[in-house]
Amino acid sequence: MNPKKKILLVDDDIDLLEQNKILIESMGYEVITANSSKEGWEVFKKSKPDACVIDLIMEEYDSGFVLCHRIKKDEHGNDIPVFILTSATYETGFKFGASTLEEQEWIAADEIINKPVVIDEFVQKLENYFEMKRS
Amino acid sequence: MNNIKPKVLVVDDEKGLRIGVQRLLEMEGYEVDVAENGTDGIKLGTGNEYDLAIIDLKMPDIDGIDVLKSIKQKFPNTVCFIATAFASYDTAIEATKLGAQSYIPKPFTPEELLSELKSGYQKRLLSLEEAKWLREREERLLEVAFEKTRLNTIINSITDGVLVVNKEGLAVLFNPAVFRFLELSDVKVEEYILDKLRPEILELINKFLLSDSKEKRSYTIQLELKPNREFFIEATASPVFHPEDNLAGVVIVFKDITELKRIELIKSQFVSMVSHELKAPIAAVYGFLKLMSDDKIPLSDEQKKEYLNRSMIRLDGLLKMVNDLLDISRMELKTVKKEIRKICLTEIIKNILELFHFEVQKANIQVNFNYQTERFCIDADSDEISRLFTNLISNAIKYNRPSGSITIQINQIGKFVVTEIKDTGIGMKEEEKKKLFSEFFRAKNEFTKNVSGTGLGLSIVKRIVDSYSGKIEVESEFGVGTTFRIYLPN
Repeated sequence: MNPKKKILLVDDDIDLLEQNKILIESMGYEVITANSSKEGWEVFKKSKPDACVIDLIMEEYDSGFVLCHRIKKDEHGNDIPVFILTSATYETGFKFGASTLEEQEWIAADEIINKPVVIDEFVQKLENYFEMKRS
Repeated sequence: MNNIKPKVLVVDDEKGLRIGVQRLLEMEGYEVDVAENGTDGIKLGTGNEYDLAIIDLKMPDIDGIDVLKSIKQKFPNTVCFIATAFASYDTAIEATKLGAQSYIPKPFTPEELLSELKSGYQKRLLSLEEAKWLREREERLLEVAFEKTRLNTIINSITDGVLVVNKEGLAVLFNPAVFRFLELSDVKVEEYILDKLRPEILELINKFLLSDSKEKRSYTIQLELKPNREFFIEATASPVFHPEDNLAGVVIVFKDITELKRIELIKSQFVSMVSHELKAPIAAVYGFLKLMSDDKIPLSDEQKKEYLNRSMIRLDGLLKMVNDLLDISRMELKTVKKEIRKICLTEIIKNILELFHFEVQKANIQVNFNYQTERFCIDADSDEISRLFTNLISNAIKYNRPSGSITIQINQIGKFVVTEIKDTGIGMKEEEKKKLFSEFFRAKNEFTKNVSGTGLGLSIVKRIVDSYSGKIEVESEFGVGTTFRIYLPN
C-alpha cells in the first residue's frame, strides 16, 4: 500500500482543528495542523503536505484566501489540492470576495467547502484530486 | 348730485366773480372754498384734496399755471379748469398739457360753467375709481409676487432636491439642490429635461407621463450615483393633477441617503459578524458531540472527558457573548434605566478585585491598589460602573504575563475622577489600538490565542464611558504592557 497521504489543516479554532484532525485521520490520512496562517505557511514549507485545508476566517476575514494564494504560488503548492473551509456562506450575509473570475484566479483554491465538513464528501473530493494527479 | 357734495376750489383775484361762482355752485350742491390769489390757491389746493378747481390764469402774485402745476403735483386726480379772459390758443394748450381738464374762456354763463364742472366731476369719479383699481391690482400683484418669492425661498432652502416636470417634459420648477441629484450643472426654466436624466429617473417620471392613470400614488427608487456607496439617492415621484383631475406634471423629490446606506452596511456587517461569532462555538460543541457519538472513532475515556470539558468552555463563552450582546443592545435601545446614586470607585474596585482573587492568584499577578486613600465618589449607576471596571480588570489579568503586575490608581483631575489601570501584559501594536473598541475585535497573535473572550468587552466599556460623557485614554507598548485611563465626571 502507498504511504499515507499527508494533509495540512490550518484553523485558528483549536477545537475544530482537533476534531477535523481526528476525523481525517480516521479515514486513513496523516494529518498535520497549524493554528494560524503564519504557522500554516511555516508548516507547509517544512512538511510539504499532499493537500492543504485552510479555514477562511482567521486573523482577518480573508486570511484563508491569502494563505491559499501564497501556497498556490509555491512550486510544491501549485502541485497539490488546496481547499478552503468556510462558514461564511451567503446565509450569514458574508460575501467572501471570490465572486469574480479574477478573484477566483487570484485565490486559486481548488475547492471551497462549507462548514461543518461532511467527512465522506470531503474525502471523496480529495481522492478525486489525487486520482487526477496519478493519471 | 348724490349725498356727497363735490368739493370745489375757486381761485380768482376778481372778487365779484369769486362770490358769484361760489353762490351759484353752493346752490347747485357743491361745497366751495375760495382763494383770492395764487398763494392762497396753492395753500388750499395742496392742503386739501378737492374734486374740482377753477383757476384764474392771470393773478397779480402767482400765475394760474403755477397754481395748476402745484395742485396737479400733489393731487393728480383733482380736475382743474383754467379760466381767463385773455384767451389764447397757446395758453390753452399749455394748460391742458399740464393736466388741466379744459380751458374756460371768460366771460362764461352759469350753464357753461355747470356743464363743464359736471363733466369734470364725472371724470374725477372715473379717475378715482381707476386709481382704486390700480391700487388694488398693485396690491394683488405684490401679494402674488410675495407668495411666489416665499415659495421659491422655501423650495430653494430645502436640501432635498425638488423637480417639477410638466406633461411635455419641461422643467417648470426646481431648486438648486436638485442639480447634484440630476448630475447636471444647470437647468433652465421650461427647458426640455427628459433627455438629460438617468434612465432610471426617466422611467420613474414616465410611469406617470406615459399613463392615463388618475391614481394618486408615488413611486420611489434608490440609486447609487457614485460607486462604492459614495453617493446614494432616493427619488420619489408623485403626480401633480389639475383641479379638473387631469395630469399636470410630476414632482420628484430627491433625498441623499448615503449616510443611511452606510449605517445599513454597518448593521449588516455587524449581523454577519455576530452570526459568525455565534456559529463558531456551536460548531465546536457540535463537532465534539458528533465525534463522541461516532462509533467508528475510538476515543479513550480521558479524551471524552477532555472534549466534554472543552465543550463546556465553549458553551460558557457563548453564553457570555450572548449576555454581552444583550447588554449592547440594551444600551443601544437605551432601555437600561440608570439608577444614579452616589457610588465610590475605591469600593467598587475593591469588590471587583475580591471577585478576581482566584484568577489573580492562579496567574501569580501582583495587584497594587491602595484602598486606604480617598473614596472618590461619583453619581452613577453602580452596576454599569462595576461592569466597566470588571471588563478592564479582567483584561488586565487575562492579557498579563505570568507573575506580572496590575497597578490601579485613582485621582481627581479637574472635574473628572481618573482611574488608571496599568498592566504588564502583552500590550498592543499601533494598528490593534485603533480597532480596540470595535465589536468583536480581538488582537490575534501568538500570545492571545489561548485567551478566551467575546470581543465585546471593550466595546461595552466604551459605551458605558460615553454614556457618562467620560473619556478613555489608552497607552500601550507591544510586549510591555497597557495602561487604560478612565475619566468619569463627578
